[in-house]
Amino acid sequence: MAPKDYEAEKDKCKRFLQEFYTEDDSGKKVFKYGAQLVALAHREQVALFVELDDVAEEDPELVESICENAKRYTGLFADAVHELLPEYKERDIVAKDSLDVYIEHRLMMEQRSRDPADTRDPRNQYPAELMRRFELYFKSPTIAKPKVVRDVRADSIGQLVAVRGIVTRATEVKPMMAVATYTCDQCGAETYQPIQSPSFMPLIMCPSQECVTNKSGGRLYIQTRGSKFVKFQELRIQEHSDQVPVGNIPRSMTVYARGENTRLAQPGDHVAITGVFLPLLRTGFRQAVQGLLSETYLEAHSITLMNKSEDDELGNEELTDEELHNITDEGFYEKLAGSIAPEIYGHEDVKKALLLLLVGGVEQAPRGMKIRGNINICLMGDPGVAKSQLLSYIDRLAPRSQYTTGRGSSGVGLTAAVMRDPLTGEMTLEGGALVLADQGICCIDEFDKMADTDRTAIHEVMEQQTISIAKAGIMTSLNARCSILAAANPAYGRYNPRKSIEQNIQLPAALLSRFDLLWLIQDKPDADADLRLAQHITYVHQHSRQPPTHFTPIDMKLMRRYIALCKKRQPVIPESLADYITAAYVEMRKEARVSKDTTFTSARTLLSILRLATALARLRTVDTVEKEDVNEAMRLMEMSKDSLQADKSSSTRTQRPADVIFSLVRELATEGAAGRGGAGGVVRMAEAEQRCISRGFTPAQFQEALEEYEELNVWQINQARSRITFV
Amino acid sequence: MMPSTHDWINNPLGVVEGMFAASQNNSNSAWEAKVVEFFKDRLKEDGAHTWVPSLNDVPLHYLKPNSLVKFRCLIQDMFDPEFYMGVYETVDLPTQAKVLRCGKYKDVTECGVDFNSRNTVTAERQTFYCVPIPGENPWVKESYASSSQARVVPSTSYVPSRQKRSYEEDDEMDVQPQKQGEQHTGPHSPSEQHSNGDCKRQETEAPSSQTASPSHLNLNFPLPGEKGPSCLVKVYENWDSFKLNDTLEIYGVLSVSPALSALADEKDASSSLLDPTECMETAEEQRVHSPPASLVPRLHMIHAKPLRHNNPLLPSVILEDNSAFLSSTLSKMASVRAELLTYFTHVLLGDALAAEYLILHLISTVYARRDILPLGKFTLNLSGCPAVASYTERLYQIIQQLVPSSYYLGMSLQNMNQMCLVPKKDYVANRLVSGALQLARNTSLFLDETQLEQGQLDTTGVRNVTALGNLISWQKVDYDFNYHQMEFPCNINVLIASEGRSLLPSDCRIHLQPQVAPPHLEEYLSSIVLHPQPSSQLNKFRSYLSVAQLLDYSISDEVTKSVEDDFVDMRKDDPQSISAEDLHRMLVVARLLSLSLGQTSLSIDGWLRAKHIEMLRRSRMEQHKCVNGNEP
Repeated sequence: MAPKDYEAEKDKCKRFLQEFYTEDDSGKKVFKYGAQLVALAHREQVALFVELDDVAEEDPELVESICENAKRYTGLFADAVHELLPEYKERDIVAKDSLDVYIEHRLMMEQRSRDPADTRDPRNQYPAELMRRFELYFKSPTIAKPKVVRDVRADSIGQLVAVRGIVTRATEVKPMMAVATYTCDQCGAETYQPIQSPSFMPLIMCPSQECVTNKSGGRLYIQTRGSKFVKFQELRIQEHSDQVPVGNIPRSMTVYARGENTRLAQPGDHVAITGVFLPLLRTGFRQAVQGLLSETYLEAHSITLMNKSEDDELGNEELTDEELHNITDEGFYEKLAGSIAPEIYGHEDVKKALLLLLVGGVEQAPRGMKIRGNINICLMGDPGVAKSQLLSYIDRLAPRSQYTTGRGSSGVGLTAAVMRDPLTGEMTLEGGALVLADQGICCIDEFDKMADTDRTAIHEVMEQQTISIAKAGIMTSLNARCSILAAANPAYGRYNPRKSIEQNIQLPAALLSRFDLLWLIQDKPDADADLRLAQHITYVHQHSRQPPTHFTPIDMKLMRRYIALCKKRQPVIPESLADYITAAYVEMRKEARVSKDTTFTSARTLLSILRLATALARLRTVDTVEKEDVNEAMRLMEMSKDSLQADKSSSTRTQRPADVIFSLVRELATEGAAGRGGAGGVVRMAEAEQRCISRGFTPAQFQEALEEYEELNVWQINQARSRITFV
Repeated sequence: MMPSTHDWINNPLGVVEGMFAASQNNSNSAWEAKVVEFFKDRLKEDGAHTWVPSLNDVPLHYLKPNSLVKFRCLIQDMFDPEFYMGVYETVDLPTQAKVLRCGKYKDVTECGVDFNSRNTVTAERQTFYCVPIPGENPWVKESYASSSQARVVPSTSYVPSRQKRSYEEDDEMDVQPQKQGEQHTGPHSPSEQHSNGDCKRQETEAPSSQTASPSHLNLNFPLPGEKGPSCLVKVYENWDSFKLNDTLEIYGVLSVSPALSALADEKDASSSLLDPTECMETAEEQRVHSPPASLVPRLHMIHAKPLRHNNPLLPSVILEDNSAFLSSTLSKMASVRAELLTYFTHVLLGDALAAEYLILHLISTVYARRDILPLGKFTLNLSGCPAVASYTERLYQIIQQLVPSSYYLGMSLQNMNQMCLVPKKDYVANRLVSGALQLARNTSLFLDETQLEQGQLDTTGVRNVTALGNLISWQKVDYDFNYHQMEFPCNINVLIASEGRSLLPSDCRIHLQPQVAPPHLEEYLSSIVLHPQPSSQLNKFRSYLSVAQLLDYSISDEVTKSVEDDFVDMRKDDPQSISAEDLHRMLVVARLLSLSLGQTSLSIDGWLRAKHIEMLRRSRMEQHKCVNGNEP
């Protein structure tokens, strides 16, 4: 293979920079790089980013060469820019700093001494780096997928690579010498030494013609103001956790950032870095001892910060038609729901609700009032009904989620805490689980065992979706736009259907009403279901995998992508459905009043139905909510209420009126005892009758109860029938 | 040119170089694969692997540099890959003759390397930080050491001047003191036996010669009080097949060149002023990634054998391929089980049911994982342990005698608040700081809850208890990577000894019913300790437990059918009594029960037996329902 003609390549670069243009909307030519060159010439811009996408339009071969041999082409492009710059200079500029003055001065000197007879000592020539005030970087083609740190291997040395990762360490920005300038104490000549490696050996003897011939032994002294320094920062990046194969430790990589690329990233940031993968040159003794090893680093060309959600989207290609078809065929709703935690048997409705939670409803913001779209769900249930498993599955499925337990989270807790930064000593805010789960899902296990401080804060999160902080002089409000998926254990070990929810899980009603759906997962016997459950479990143990079902569970990745697709929809509720929904709500209220309901039916219920309905519409990827959606939303609502109702099949002993009257009278007696002090156990008849009639009992029922309990010898009634005395 | 019998042990690099030189003449010869093949073939020879000295039982200064050694270890950390010169060229200065050389399995080059040679080939290798298997019990170490036939000749630089003091220490600490001082006096006595005490001395002595800060000493062992060498293992081939916490037996070239330490020292000393890139590599990182070779030797891996079990009494070949051994053991299992049951009943104060469950627990292992659900785990909570006469500690000592590796974690408040259980990434030193839960598969973790007293758990304590809970429920540990957590699956047998119901979750709880009256307890216990089982008997138990753990198991369709029907019937009678969780447990119990009897498939009989002992256990639980306030 013939060696490349780099002069020709340089001309190619030049041509590209001069001639590349895009057409704007009006069809006018915009010279993208031409304009930037002007800015560079006037010192208004420092970094020039050459986008390889643009280069590819002109000359695809050149892109390949650049990627293969990036360091060389950086030099070529820089030379090209350097040569072009004078042409683009439209006006004289004022020197900005001493280095500019130096450069100007040096140029003048060079012109003055441009004597054809005097061939200048090549070592005293100005190195190109010294005269440049711009930096040239490449931006990798958008089609190239960013690599994983562990895939950058020995064969990538010298190439332009793009990697993604999380910054784990960043040094301070320090000046690094790029060109050292020396002056001679004898002849006064300047000598320059471009520095490529991290360490260098300073020159001592003056190499100028004058000193060498005279053997005057001129000593060189370094001149700080005349030397060129660049900003230098070293970063360490580590692979994302999702890029690490199971059972491996995340790999890391050293990144050198210079000039304009410094101070872009801080530890903890997610970044995508394009750069040249290079071996680190060591000199002298170190090279000898280092022996066989060579260290490598990535010379950064561009550093882009990305937040986690963006970088998730990068991996989300559009769903293919086939995949879409696969998902959206018959019974897709059941299929999607069934694909949630397939190893947990049954609980179809709970899984449907969780599916809706993943998709989320549409957020409304009419005239500054914000109505959340996120769906909150609370799972309650006896110990050992796979609540935690469901939570941990959702935590894995959701692209952004936090898993915490009410009691386990200490320190920062659920909300936020003011912490002192160990490095700088400044006060900083550290977000808790709810803040970190912003735009995602926060799974809270053992919700009932939450700390009191968190419990108050969670009220705000669940309706306003913010967290207000007023601690240590920091007053702020943080976004916490997350759905909450909570799991709670009943207070007395098992759920007691005869008690209200508040009593059962010892949470205030205000908090419970903020959940759109409350599910009670109970373990109820049913021969048919039991058999299927048994089959399921034995199958798992027999074959150590899931039993074949009528559908194959949808792959987690596909689910994620489908959910992301659903989330893009913003369905609206058509006017025509408004009446239907209102009527349904009024009906629910009425029902709640009539039947002794242990749950709450309030305006929040209506909002919940709307949220669920919009989530269902999203799931079908349509833009309007239909009647079926509302019906299904109400069905889920109904099912969740049903799960909380007392078990109808087991005949609970209904309280007879007489029993209720007895308890009322006894209540009165104890009240009286407290009030009058000592004279307990005596109730005036009129008072008792009054109390009972006010509770909706007839006087006949009252009399009946009196006699019944008198016969039982529980109380005695005096002759005048004016007083009841407890025995 | 084939090397003679033991050349491949004493001078493996000679073999490598010979093959490399041969490959230069004919191109495209896969000499690298040939080297690995050669050593594999040699090791397959009868008893060949016993000739190779082991780093585990021979102190480092007895081993010849650049010789072939083996190391039984756990991968504790994985460093970033490094690039090295796979092939390089040296120039002999007087003659200007150029020679190509191979850089594989080496740390240090010959002099006169031509760094600008076109023939240099850069290759990649991976470094693992390996530690001896955490919690490996003394009997395993001794058994391995005694089977070794390696001829170890101490290097001449070793001056045995401090022996006396060290042996006194040994005698104090060794469980079974060994008189072996004489053996070491002659520097050339062949086939020496080395107890683990030697390794320890090497560890305790080596740092005293180091002048550096105490962090030098941190060899990052998962468990406190561990001894033995740790090793930086350089891996050349398919490193992707190795995972963190894998247990391996590594055969490789030992490299202890002092030049490696010189490099580290020089870097420490050089000021970072001149070299801006040095500021990144902190002193701690230097110390961790290139510790002195005398302390942490380098091992260039040629061949690694994953250890499915770490029991020296079993043949190392996987059971399926060894049908003769398998059939002979299976037939004996039932009788050994009966003996073991008698022994455990004795140890558990005459409680036969608890003894039964203890056997099941000891042979349990996670055999499969389905998404997040581990199958086969069987965490046992032994409640009702008498708090007198340090009963739990004695119980642990007995278990320690039987399983290859185990760890005793006293759950005292101080331990929970101070111990570091979960491994954590230290970004300053760029390494994974180990924690007590970084354990090899099938390690027995003994949690002693009787040590718990009243008090406050702080943040660390809460985190530790959560980690233990996660370990028990999901058989996974979330390693702390500061910016995120990473889940590492594990396979640890957890046994919780407590007075009442444990605060940690467990798969199965059994309340101990001692048949011995408390006043006689002390006497009874000391009689157990004073009369240990003969070692032949112990060895029988040891093999039995390991084999049972390794057996395959299946359930036939008919049995499945009857189990299902049985479950439905049970639910019909009393739905509260049995839940899905119970069925899971009963299937696990049935599995373990069958395996413990050497039956590799579930029979109806086995199922009924499992049901029966579960019923006995549950009826006992009813009696002890209200022991303390932890009940739901």
